[in-house]
Amino acid sequence: MSKKLLLAASAAVLLNTSPALAASDADLAAIKADIQAMRAAYESKIEQLEQKVETLSAQQDQTAAKIATVEPAAGEQVATQRPATMQRNIKDSSFNPAIGVILNGKYNSFSENEGDVAGFAIGEEGERGTEGLSIDETELNFSASVDDKFRGSATIALAEHGGETEVEIEEVFIATTALPAGIEVKAGRFFSELGYLNSHHTHTDDFADRPLTNRAFLDGNYGDDGIQVSAVLPTPIYTEIGGGIFRGDDNPAGGAEGSDIGAWTAYGRVGGDIGDKTSWRVGLSTLQADDVSRDANEDEVNFSGDSDLYIADARAVYAPTGNNAEQEIIFQGEYFYRDEDGTYEDTGAATGAVDYDDGQSGWYAQSVYKFAPQWRAGARFSQLYAGDVPTGLVGSALDDEGHDPWAATAMVDWTNSEFSRLRAQYSREEVADGQEDNQFTLQYIMSLGAHGAHNY
Amino acid sequence: MKKLSLMILTLGVLVASPSFAFAKTNIFACAPEWGALAQEIGGDKVDIYTASNANQDIHHMRAKPSLLAAMRKADLVICSGASLEIGWLPILLNKAGNNQVQEGGIGSVMASDYVPLLDVMQEKADRSMGHVHPEGNPHIHLDPNNILFLSKVIAERLSEIDASNSSAYQSNQVSFENSWTQAIAQWDNEGSHLKGQQVVVYHKSWTYLLNWLGMEAVASLEPKPGIPPNASHLKQVLQDIEGKNVKAILIAPFENEKGAKWLSEKANIPIIKLPFTVGGNAQSTDLKTMFDDTLQRLK
Repeated sequence: MSKKLLLAASAAVLLNTSPALAASDADLAAIKADIQAMRAAYESKIEQLEQKVETLSAQQDQTAAKIATVEPAAGEQVATQRPATMQRNIKDSSFNPAIGVILNGKYNSFSENEGDVAGFAIGEEGERGTEGLSIDETELNFSASVDDKFRGSATIALAEHGGETEVEIEEVFIATTALPAGIEVKAGRFFSELGYLNSHHTHTDDFADRPLTNRAFLDGNYGDDGIQVSAVLPTPIYTEIGGGIFRGDDNPAGGAEGSDIGAWTAYGRVGGDIGDKTSWRVGLSTLQADDVSRDANEDEVNFSGDSDLYIADARAVYAPTGNNAEQEIIFQGEYFYRDEDGTYEDTGAATGAVDYDDGQSGWYAQSVYKFAPQWRAGARFSQLYAGDVPTGLVGSALDDEGHDPWAATAMVDWTNSEFSRLRAQYSREEVADGQEDNQFTLQYIMSLGAHGAHNY
Repeated sequence: MKKLSLMILTLGVLVASPSFAFAKTNIFACAPEWGALAQEIGGDKVDIYTASNANQDIHHMRAKPSLLAAMRKADLVICSGASLEIGWLPILLNKAGNNQVQEGGIGSVMASDYVPLLDVMQEKADRSMGHVHPEGNPHIHLDPNNILFLSKVIAERLSEIDASNSSAYQSNQVSFENSWTQAIAQWDNEGSHLKGQQVVVYHKSWTYLLNWLGMEAVASLEPKPGIPPNASHLKQVLQDIEGKNVKAILIAPFENEKGAKWLSEKANIPIIKLPFTVGGNAQSTDLKTMFDDTLQRLK
């Protein structure tokens, strides 16, 4: 019986789904009360917290309001003061350094097979361009302020010569920005201040190629390793003087050895405005290269000795409406005189080393007319005068055979924006007796990245 | 080497020759508006060289020799900044050998550093968008509130550079501020009816003026900033503004009128040639008359 009772009890327990609840409605009420008490407690706590938050945020608002009322005055003071001395000066977009890439492509067609300039030995960069389609020269430029006292710039050119891609260091230099009295010191490798064109990169030129003078006397650009000091003087009109010392390794210098200073330069120039429409600049400069050993004409001609170059340059820019963005006319010219004392040897003509002591000269004049904001047309003439030919050099590359090389050029270009330009150019080059070279060039010049400079 | 030492000696003598002691503070102002403002604050204590005139597109100027000579002598340079003068100002600063006026220096005020800029590129800036200034629109001077703010900047900077005349600069600034605040109130009043009016512009030169007056530019004659108007874009503009109530075509003295004239005839909208800066027309002899004239012409 007791077993049955036990079983029944167990069954009752097992079957009873909610023994505790079933058992305790009273308990439930108690629990509910507990929970309510807890909730009340929490709610009051939450309320307290909310109040705290409110007071805090109100305090914060007050503080903010206080700050706001204080800020304009303080803000003004802070804002009107100059920024703290900067570590680096980021001038062009958000890049540091400013990076620029110049894309330059050409199509050249020449009616003559040869482009040798009679009476002159021409360096590699001064030669006639590549015939046919080519990506002339791609230029990479990095530049920035180094700190508050120096700036730096590196320009690397990728070019093809004779089917091989060459990496050329065009310019890699540092320059001061913190010297007083208008003085700037530049060190490294850079295009020297010589005449007008030499210090400019070719992509800024007004023509697709350099005039004969700069090709013959400066091999395109004279850019050597050295130091240059210049000073803008405190005069009412612009006056700048300067000079540099160089290793002497770039044409027209060459064959630098040991610790010698192979070349030095000096220049002076003045410039200014005439009214609101015209600006001008004239200058004199010299490049003195000593103990030169220079190979040219594809290494067939060697010059050894002293080579002294003198240049006079002039440039004027006239804006008919007073606004250069609309219309302008540029006049520009340079005269070159080179005095060379040493020996010339033309291995191609097997002359042996022949004494040479004479002067050569040349000039160019050009004008470019911007007749509409995007359109320009230009004309240029350049001519060279070789020295007298010593008997030993008759029939060699140094013999001009009584012909003064000249070139006449006409061009028209279209500038879509400041960053792109397309150009067509025709040249008639008679650089040697019997050579009548009709040259036709199509060119594009485009820039990526950093904003280009509007040099004078 | 003998020649070389001679050269160095000559150079040394020339450079070391004493520079003139200038009694006045030399200010190089990139644009006429900054020259005019510097004159208000500097009064007779300063000599001002203004690098451009109202007929010149300041962005396309060159680093001319005359500018270099002036930069060499400058004690304070005031320009708009935000890449407006990027083609030539850096060249002048590099070549002039004048440490004081380098950007960030005591003698350099780039106005756009001190006021909130409009048209700041939030997204990627690309040159296919034309000549955009990713840092913001640099033509800030056509909001007179910006001029007021810059007057304080210039007064403080002049006081710092030329402490002996500090009180003169401060008092000039106070009197300028008083008359300028009144003038702004008057212009706000005069210009209140312009709010919401629509115009066509040549370039984004007018952003600050339009923003101040609550006006709206519905089209530009330039297809992309920095690229001159062309026929196909002008036709597009003509289509775009059809049915809109366009009040006028705004152009500056240095902007080519050709495209504006074409559109003006086709759409029968007047051209309003605003002075843009001091000297932009015969009436605009200083900042106040320049704004007076601008509002007069917009009426």
